[in-house]
This record gives sequence, structure tokens and C-alpha cells, in this order.
Amino acid sequence: MTGPFFGLFAVFFAGPLIYSVVISLRSPRTGGYAGLLNYRATFSNGYYWSAVVRMGYFGIIQVTVMIGLAIGLALLLDGPYCRGRRIFSLVYFLPYAIPGVIAALMWGFLLEPDLDVLLKVPHLLGITSGSIQPLDYRLSLYAIMLIVTWEWAGYNMTILLTSLTSVPRQVIEAAKVDGASELAIAARIKLPMIRRTLVFIAILSIIGTLQLFNEPVILNEVAEIGNSLTPNQIIYNTAFSFGNEQTAAAQSLVLALITIIATIVFYGIVRRRMNPLAGTRTAK
Amino acid sequence: MTAGAWSARSLLGKALGPRMAVRAKTTATTAVLLVAAACVLIPIYWLVVASSKDTSQLFSTNTFLPSHLSWAANFSSLFSYESGDYKWWLMNSFIYSSVTATLATVVSTMAGYGLAKYEFGGRRAAIGLVMGTLMVPATALVVPLFLLEHYMGLTDTYQGVILPLIVYPFGVYFMSIYAAEAVPDALLESARIDGAGEFRALWKVGRPILAPGMATLFLLSFIATWNNYFLPLVLLGTETRFPLTVGLSAWAATLNEVGAGEPLYSNLILGSLISVLPMLVLFPFLQKYVARGLTFGAISGE
Repeated sequence: MTGPFFGLFAVFFAGPLIYSVVISLRSPRTGGYAGLLNYRATFSNGYYWSAVVRMGYFGIIQVTVMIGLAIGLALLLDGPYCRGRRIFSLVYFLPYAIPGVIAALMWGFLLEPDLDVLLKVPHLLGITSGSIQPLDYRLSLYAIMLIVTWEWAGYNMTILLTSLTSVPRQVIEAAKVDGASELAIAARIKLPMIRRTLVFIAILSIIGTLQLFNEPVILNEVAEIGNSLTPNQIIYNTAFSFGNEQTAAAQSLVLALITIIATIVFYGIVRRRMNPLAGTRTAK
Repeated sequence: MTAGAWSARSLLGKALGPRMAVRAKTTATTAVLLVAAACVLIPIYWLVVASSKDTSQLFSTNTFLPSHLSWAANFSSLFSYESGDYKWWLMNSFIYSSVTATLATVVSTMAGYGLAKYEFGGRRAAIGLVMGTLMVPATALVVPLFLLEHYMGLTDTYQGVILPLIVYPFGVYFMSIYAAEAVPDALLESARIDGAGEFRALWKVGRPILAPGMATLFLLSFIATWNNYFLPLVLLGTETRFPLTVGLSAWAATLNEVGAGEPLYSNLILGSLISVLPMLVLFPFLQKYVARGLTFGAISGE
């Protein structure tokens, strides 16, 4: 029953992973055993580490903003003052159906002042000396944050909203009887009760950030923002532009390790803050 | 929230009366939700309007307002550009997604159901393994996968793209929990007493009960394959085998090289719109199934 899955898993998942370790120990020039040569090359590669640090900066801003938006919208939709919950949740979820490549193409054109009149408005009003150029190299990282947030905020909102509907209504009613305001209920009852879901979506977002590839690649094609912004772009270039699969394998294994460490560190931080009694505490 | 804001709020409540306060809060909530909805929809609206303009109109007219409706001309340009590659990409995306989703659903359902109902010692360890794979960046696998497929002669083939995507650990995890909850052991027991084998029991007893879960899995895998870029980008070399994502990005890569008379901008914009249109139209009907699958991993951990 489980045979077909684990058979394919061995050939197309476990096999490549093990093979990746094997080739990462070989010399790019001779193909012979080279010890940790490729790992040393990875650890001393300044472009690689600045890309990793860039993703750390990216994640701290983008993941925070995105999850903040997702929490806000989910609480509004779950609250008593919402009309049209079904249609709003459908609209917010819509970008999930759009491939990252297409979203990046669309935004790439939309952020091009020649194609988007809105970017000329500050110039016409005399605020800036020219049109805003979001795909300028100084702003391109923020342009990617905008695109990724547009793509995934609604997805995360959908997960949070489903989680919120599982909060027992009696608990909320009891808090209301005690005179708790909507905000107090949201902050002291709803959010603590969905904290596991929050941790789950944050971890998925951290993994996604470290793996960023599609959006910067497409934006670089539309507006030449540079081809080494993210670790995955560098790995791709190492393997396929320079034909150095050995160092690329080491780079991707180090990236896998960084992802696991980042996840464990994040989980360690939030778990200490997640007081097990927080969920049972009622509003004052 | 500061004390001042709290008292201002209660003052507002007293001044307006409770019903007016509820009305004001409802209006404010709706306003915020509408702004957020506009942020989601405006880029899509822009894509629709811009797809109606030819390249010179794109740069000379307001791209938020429809003016010259050149859809027919853009459409024929899109499907004839570079010997009509676009129609292949559309067809390929459909082939990759439907074949992958069908096989991934069958394989994951069997594995998930098997783990939930038949395996005893290995079940927990296997689920742990499946969850562990979610942590490994998919891209860490693509370079060695390319080399392995190269030895096997699978690069630049349809199978080469489809086979790795059938391995869908989340689908197995999803189905193992779904089957554990939905298929009663007593029902399987009676099927076995009637002399049905494992596969027959799954087909006769399990399948009808698991069908809604399988629909969810099919959709999630279909969307994931339709949206995939990295794997086909690395594995494929022949233009007529590209899916839409790889094909459109190949056109985008030549944006700065082509002459000014080339219709590449309008081709890319209409090509992008057509590539998302089927999913956008179907999404209102599918949203329920998709959302259920996505929230599953998060909620079952509660």
C-alpha cells in the first residue's frame, strides 16, 4: 500500500539528497574526493553570506508585516462587525491561485513608471524630482517584499481564519458577559488560542523566505535588478552558469542547514514565550 | 491600547448610543476590509486592462483605463509569436498539472491510508519522516536531481518533470490523518471477513469515504504543479516542452534585447492573464476544498 510512495520517495527524494552529499565532497576540477573543499569555499564566499543575511533582513520585515496583516484581517473577518465575510475571504485568498512567476511579471510591469501612471503622481505634484522607480537597485528588495506579501498574506489569513473558527464560542460569550471588549477578547483569548497556528505559518514563511527564487529571477529579467540577491539564485548560477555542481551542492546543503537552524531557533524563542497557561487566562 | 483610547471609545458609545456605536464599528470594519480587497484586486484589474492594449498604447495611454481594445490582435499575436510556442506551454502546463495531480493523489492516498490502517510499528516513524521532509528546502534537491535524471535520460522529458512531483509528503500526511478519522475500522474488518484483499478493501470501502479528501489533494497538487517554476526550469531545455511559467519567463528574459517594434510586452501581459484566468474563474467553486487542505496541517496540530 505504501510501496509506490516510498519507492518514488527513495528515487526522487532520498536518492538526490544522499547524492548531493556525495558530490559536495568532490573536487570541481578533477571530480575526485576533495574533503571539505566545497564547504570551505561556501563559508568563505562573501556573496553567499551577504545573500543569507539579506534574506534575514527581508524575513524580519516582510514576514512580520505579512503575518501582522493576516492576523488583523482574520480577526476583523472573525469579529462581530464584519459584513460579507465569504466574499472578502475569497478575494484575499485569490492570489494563491496565481503562480509566483506570473505575480512577479505582473508586478514587474506595474512597478515600471512607463507603464504605471500612479508612479508618476508624486513627480507631477512636485514631491519627487522624477517618477518613483521601485525597481531601482536600492528599492528592489522592498519591491520583492511587496510582491511576496501580496501573494501570501491572504493565504496565511485563510489558515488563521479557519483556526479562529475553532475557538469555542462559549469562552468568547463568557468573556463578553464579563464585560470584555472585542479588542481584549481578540488579544487575550483568540490570539493565545491560535498560537500554534501562528507558529506554524511563521515557520512556513521563514522557510519560504530562505528559499526565495522565482520573484527575484523574474524581476531581474524585467528590470535587471541583479542575479545574486538570494542564496538560491547564487546556487543556481554556481551550478548552471559556471557548471560547478560540486560547490553548488555544498551551498544548497548549507542552506538546508541554515533553514533548519533558523526554524529551531525561532521555535525555541517562541516556545519559551508561549506560556501554557496563556490560553486559559480570561480577560480582566 | 492606551487608557485614553479606551475611555474615548466608551465616551463615543455613550454619546451615540449602543446601536450607533455598533453601526460605526461595522462601517469602519467594512472600510478597512474594502481597502485590503482593493489592494488585492487592483493589480489583477490592471492586468486585464493592460492586456487590451498593444505595445505602443501600453507606453502612451493610461494603463488603468481601457481605451483601445486590441484583444483580438493581441490574441493572434500571442499565439503566433515565435512559431506559436505559447499554445504548447498552455497545453504542457495542463498535461504536467493533471497527470501529476492524478498520480500524486493515488500514490498519496494509498500511502496515507496504508499508514493509518495497516502499518503498526512503522507508522509513527514514517509520519515523522514525512514531516521531516517538509523542512528540507526543495531547491537543495534540484541540482542532484538534475544530475541523476541526466544519467537516467530523463532530463528534458515529460516524465522527468512529473515523477519527482508525484512525491508529495504533505499529501501522505494529510491522507493518513483523514483516513484515520474518516474510515471506520469496523467497516474494513467486515470487508476483510468477506475475503477482500487490502487493495479491494481500499477500493470498495475506503475510496467512497475518502473521495472528498482526494478532491482536496488533487486540487492542491494541481495548483502546486501549475505554479512550479524551479524544477521545470532546471530539467527542461526544449521550448515546446516548457510549462507556462518557464516559457513566459524565457520571453521576459529577452525583453531588453528585442527591437522596439516587437509585441513582446503585450504578449507577456496577455499571456500572463490567460495563464491565470482558468484558475481565477474556477476559484470561487474550489476555494472550500483548497482552504480545507491548507488549514489541515495547521489545525490538526492544535
